[in-house]
Amino acid sequence: MVTLTIDGKEVTVPQGTTILEAARSVDIKIPTLCYHDRMSPIGSCRMCVVEIEGFAHPMAACTTPVEDGIEVATISDRLTRIRQDSLKLILVNHPLDCPVCDKGGECLLQDLTYEFGIDQVEYSAAKVDRDSQYASPLIRYWPDRCIMCLRCVTACQEIKGIGAISVKGDGYGAQVVTVDADKCQSCGECLQVCPTGALTEDLSRYKGRTWLIERVPTTCTYCGCGCQLELNVQAGRVMAVTAQDGVGVNQGSLCVKGRFGYEFINSDERLTTPLIKKNGKFEEASWDEALTLVADKFSAIKAEHGPGAIGGLTSARCSNEENYLFQKFMRAAVGTNNVDHCARL
Amino acid sequence: MADGKILTINMGPHHPATHGVLRLVLELDGETIVKVTPHIGHLHRGIEKIAENMNYQQVIPLTDRFDYTAASLNNLGYCTAVEKLLGIDVPKRAQYIRVIMCELARIMGHHLWIGSHALDIGAMTVVFYTFRDREMIMNLTEEVSGYRLTPSYLRVGGLAHDITPKFIEDLRAFIKWFPTAVDGYNTLLTDNIIWRKRTMGIGTISAEDAVNYGFTGPSLRGSGVPYDLRKAKPYGSYEDFDFQVPVGDNGDVYDRYLVRMEEFTQSLNIIEQALENLPEGPVNVDNPLIANPQLDDVQEDISALIRRFKIQCQGPVVPEGEVYHAVEGSKGELGFYLVGDGTENPYRMKVRSPCFILVSALEKMMLGHMIADAISVIGSIDIVLGEIDR
Repeated sequence: MVTLTIDGKEVTVPQGTTILEAARSVDIKIPTLCYHDRMSPIGSCRMCVVEIEGFAHPMAACTTPVEDGIEVATISDRLTRIRQDSLKLILVNHPLDCPVCDKGGECLLQDLTYEFGIDQVEYSAAKVDRDSQYASPLIRYWPDRCIMCLRCVTACQEIKGIGAISVKGDGYGAQVVTVDADKCQSCGECLQVCPTGALTEDLSRYKGRTWLIERVPTTCTYCGCGCQLELNVQAGRVMAVTAQDGVGVNQGSLCVKGRFGYEFINSDERLTTPLIKKNGKFEEASWDEALTLVADKFSAIKAEHGPGAIGGLTSARCSNEENYLFQKFMRAAVGTNNVDHCARL
Repeated sequence: MADGKILTINMGPHHPATHGVLRLVLELDGETIVKVTPHIGHLHRGIEKIAENMNYQQVIPLTDRFDYTAASLNNLGYCTAVEKLLGIDVPKRAQYIRVIMCELARIMGHHLWIGSHALDIGAMTVVFYTFRDREMIMNLTEEVSGYRLTPSYLRVGGLAHDITPKFIEDLRAFIKWFPTAVDGYNTLLTDNIIWRKRTMGIGTISAEDAVNYGFTGPSLRGSGVPYDLRKAKPYGSYEDFDFQVPVGDNGDVYDRYLVRMEEFTQSLNIIEQALENLPEGPVNVDNPLIANPQLDDVQEDISALIRRFKIQCQGPVVPEGEVYHAVEGSKGELGFYLVGDGTENPYRMKVRSPCFILVSALEKMMLGHMIADAISVIGSIDIVLGEIDR
């Protein structure tokens, strides 16, 4: 164990812990931008700089491991100036998109700019105008909004283990590109971790503002994993799907189906009543009618051919309770052991 | 009535002389009033509750709807209370412009009062003259804020923006003209024998009673108590100006009339001083977390755009704490009690309305008078139901 002092507070943490983690363990808030709990430190934004007694230059708290006896200061005029300057350099040439940006209102860059009271960016740089483009058929990339924090690249590599995206070019020409389009599954992990509006979901572009959206936590219905996700609902319509970091078995990750396959919820073609085929045509029916028909047919088959003529296949999209009830129904009510499940393998 | 029976009649809420939607249940013995029961609440909009769901800047337009006859004064009371909670000082120039706007609002409020008060008692001419001059102030308000009745020109931390050269020019013209106009009002009423007979000795309330009821403003000063918050507890640079606090002797309708008539002159006096000594400088507090950036900057600078976005969509965070701040409204002490809980929205807002208290003393002032005098008493306390009901 290593003991150090942060802002006059004594902290004891295991060897190898970073200063940022040590500070968080005692509720000292160090501002961060590129750092993400689920990934190894990137150290690209310089927001988390701290002063360490005996070192002339401030160090990035997210990448510096603790040492015994060091004294760390997380707040000082000099640090505030450095952080403000780092932000200003990020803001140089940032497009004036906030009023139309889908991320506006929950953007980390906005939060930090406001928190640090930046009232003017006195630097300037040659302006390169770049159009937004498809990163994948479901994700749009806005190079001008990108702050090169590399969260997306790291997430693709570390969380998903895919490595489909990387940085191309340098200086102002640098941008995130898909290096291996075949590998990209459009899972949207990059979208999830992007702190600004550089990566946006292309299905819900311009549909709603973040502060008007209600986030309803629920469980994904696509497979048996049971990923936790949040439906972004505005005026009774699902606008997008997000996940909360560190929640549920998925810890905030989703796959392409869970994140983008939500349009069926509000689809006009969705069945809302049972249909019964009469004279070769489907006609709307009530639940009573439909269930009576199914029960009658089952009884007729059972009477004619015996219960062994009926089999049941249930689904991983159902809950355990529903699956239990289904097999019970097949065994007790129908009287057959012909029950199977798609996830039995 | 000859047979001694008491007649109960309902006056309002849709009565032109009840100044809004006030309902009075009057019990009459012949034409003499023996009991008065005010019923309020017809204009209740739940503004104090609505405010809890808005950020501090968004509440400002709601406050316009309290005493809508003199809206800037409500803005001032609210903004100063929030500024007290935030612990910030507003630049001197903004304070002077606020004083100008508020005294103009006071004159506007008094214009509506004397116009309708005289109209109620039968002097129809006055309202034409006061509304002619009220129009000039409305135009001034429109010039700076874009709105005529409910300007919402004040902001937490300063003003929406600076005044324009045209405003100053028009204001000078108004200052030059207005004493003549006040003389005109006086000519019509002050020595008018009918006016004096209808107002002298009517609705008298003693200084002691007025204080006990909680009277403030011109209604209290009409009873001879020289209490004016601008002098008693100066706020927003009022200590810089030289002005008189007019008081009455008897506390009747006529005295309250004289006090307000003199306030026309005193308010104009303050406006003149504020305009002559208007300091240079910014009109918003130098705090990027509270003051809106300039629109020109927003269209060029991303940091200004982000700040504006955050201030508009989220609002400044106000620390935990509670505060009460009162200003001298055109009707009396208009107080704002605010509780902050460290978020962007007020935890609670409560308004101390001067008119609410004045209404409670209606019976005291009306008892024993004729039913026709009820009209002059209502007019003389200058109530506005938007502020009573909220």
